Amino acid sequence: MNFDIGETEKNLCDRIKALFTVDGGTDLIHLENDRMEAVRRATLRWTASLGEAGYLAPGVMNGRNSVSLVVMQEALAALAPSLFLSVEVSARIFGRLVAVYGTSEQKDAILSNLTSGKIIGTAALSEQGMNIENEPLATRGVASTEGFRVTGSKSHVVNAPIADWIAVAGTIDGETGTVFFLIEKASEGLFTGDRLATLGYTGAAISPIRLENCPVPSAHVIHPKNESDALKAVRLWEDQVLTAASLGLMRRSFDVAVTYAKTHRSGGKPIIAYQEVGFKLAEMLTLFQTAQLLAYRAAWMSESGDREADALAHCAKVFCAEAAEKIASEALQILGGTGYVLGNPAEAGYRDAKYLQIAGTSTEISRMKIGDAVLGY
Amino acid sequence: MDFHFTDEQLMFKEQVIRFARKEIVPRVQEHDLKGEFDAHAFRRLGDFGILGLHFPEAFGGSDADVVTTVLAGEALGEAGVDGGLTLAYGAHTFLCADTIFAHGTDAQREAYIPKLASGEWIGCMGLTEPGAGSDVASMTTRAEKQGDRYVLNGNKMFITNGPVADVAVVYAKTGKDLKHAGISAFIVEKGTPGFSAGNNLIKMGVRTSHTSELIFEDCSVPEAHLIGQEGGGFLMAMQTVEWDRSALLAPFVGGMTYVLEKCARYARERYQFGRPIAQFQAIKHKLADIKIFVEAARTLCYRIAWCKDQGRPLNHLEAAVAKLFVGDWGLGPANDAMVLFGGYGYCHEYEVERSFRDSRLAPIGGGTSEIQKKIISKLI
Repeated sequence: MNFDIGETEKNLCDRIKALFTVDGGTDLIHLENDRMEAVRRATLRWTASLGEAGYLAPGVMNGRNSVSLVVMQEALAALAPSLFLSVEVSARIFGRLVAVYGTSEQKDAILSNLTSGKIIGTAALSEQGMNIENEPLATRGVASTEGFRVTGSKSHVVNAPIADWIAVAGTIDGETGTVFFLIEKASEGLFTGDRLATLGYTGAAISPIRLENCPVPSAHVIHPKNESDALKAVRLWEDQVLTAASLGLMRRSFDVAVTYAKTHRSGGKPIIAYQEVGFKLAEMLTLFQTAQLLAYRAAWMSESGDREADALAHCAKVFCAEAAEKIASEALQILGGTGYVLGNPAEAGYRDAKYLQIAGTSTEISRMKIGDAVLGY
Repeated sequence: MDFHFTDEQLMFKEQVIRFARKEIVPRVQEHDLKGEFDAHAFRRLGDFGILGLHFPEAFGGSDADVVTTVLAGEALGEAGVDGGLTLAYGAHTFLCADTIFAHGTDAQREAYIPKLASGEWIGCMGLTEPGAGSDVASMTTRAEKQGDRYVLNGNKMFITNGPVADVAVVYAKTGKDLKHAGISAFIVEKGTPGFSAGNNLIKMGVRTSHTSELIFEDCSVPEAHLIGQEGGGFLMAMQTVEWDRSALLAPFVGGMTYVLEKCARYARERYQFGRPIAQFQAIKHKLADIKIFVEAARTLCYRIAWCKDQGRPLNHLEAAVAKLFVGDWGLGPANDAMVLFGGYGYCHEYEVERSFRDSRLAPIGGGTSEIQKKIISKLI
């Protein structure tokens, strides 16, 4: 056993923080609700900087989670929540999909450009009105002379308006297994909807996409040997990213609340001296530390191939997402009117938090999966 | 980071579970119903080596590290041992014996540790008083030096093992005007004139551990029964906190694993509306919440244990976080388990009823949740 964070991880976290100390602040403020082109530029620029700092090294090529990775993700998610989401969806989720399941030609064409910040990618999974857990995807590719013609629609695709490549999960006509169609920006038949105005993560570019007989060459299809495992893996990666996002959100909200509670005075003393505030912070820290350890342990189990790793990943996702919402809410309560002003990290965290329970595997579905694991189903 | 247990540790855990299932668990419900201390089971814990696990072999122990010791506590809970017996074990081994071992003289160690490690003697610790709970410094029990002896006067309250203990580690003020710095620790044996235990208190849960008042009326002990130096008692009491917030929490976490297994089995076997209730989402959600709690709480306990194995000074913040989480956040899952069993869960026949009652002590004993919040908020 060893409960210490390693020196390598600490150094890498310091390097990531240093990147933002130098010139990150202004850029990140502009990212929130800025024009699409600015969001794209920022995502590319920061992907390149983070890649150089070593942030993208773990977990992209082998698709595996690790404690080191979660520790770094937490650091970035605390500094730049929306940017974290954009970079992770592009380089980690889309990148892993290509690295783990793609052909060597696909890897050559995409991976180095992706991790060096030359292109942006995304994965489009969710469809409206269906249960992705139990039903084959409605998005279908029909064989054609050049490969496939794909038709379908996907909702809430992070990075869709700024992506160069979209991996669209679907099926091939006549088959039930999931494949991923790699579709380039500006492809004929690809229609990207307007950027959605969202409650939180307002710096991320999210939109629906629609495919109408979109031509996809055979060479651009990822056809995993075990299709159900591939879709499950991508959803697990998504959940792991959201778990780390939750940790980052907790850190950001907790830090801003502590700083305020120590500096804001009432009745002649800092408000942290009042039990109403001090005890809130104690509960927040208890949730945060517990969430951290659970997320780290889930990552460690994934890394070491433990048979309970998937169930623990769901436990971590549920606990961290719900703890993040609680901490964000209490942080806003502590900051009072100050925190309620748009742009304050407390209000931003409060708005962001709900996404973490909705996105990926929802907390309800996660609990079903945990329950099934307990029952041996 | 590495959350891995050694093969030896895991094997030992399995051995403890098998031992407890065979020798202790069949007796648990009956003793709980009657509110009886299971002296035979306690002695068997000694025979198996659990009571003295972390003490050196020379003192009748097994030289186990703290993580293994915590693992044993978790295993007892996981096997189905009730919170009363594991509390009696915790008070005996960690609050009494370990204080003598860690701070006592060679003579004190030789006189008491082998007897306590084997279970021949039962130990307890007297710290809390009727008027001094969380505010330890306000204790009024006095120890006055008279020649080569100390004379103790005062009362201790809610003392686990009080009515059954052969020896007590008792905290008393030796410096009248001093607060924490005036607290000293003494060894007081059963039968010492002026020392008596009150009646067993009838409690809501952990009923197989006997709890009482300790009464000191001109109780004279030799100065050789002072543990460490005069005024050193508060730090000793605080060091027991490490155990309170790792080894003493572990049986509770293990107990929730036991409850989870019981709930899963019941949910698979109980049919309503033509299907097992396990197929209903609301039931799965309850199972999930218990599972999440167990996994989260377990890691917190082992963090404290691992730090103690590294010889690090106690991180009060981390210890308080573990205690607060297990205490406060454990109530929901204990309630979920009882509710899952419906009317049966409300009956003594089912273990979840006992578990629900036992779990209520966690936010109270060993420092209330409010005290943990106070510690954490001060250290932030």
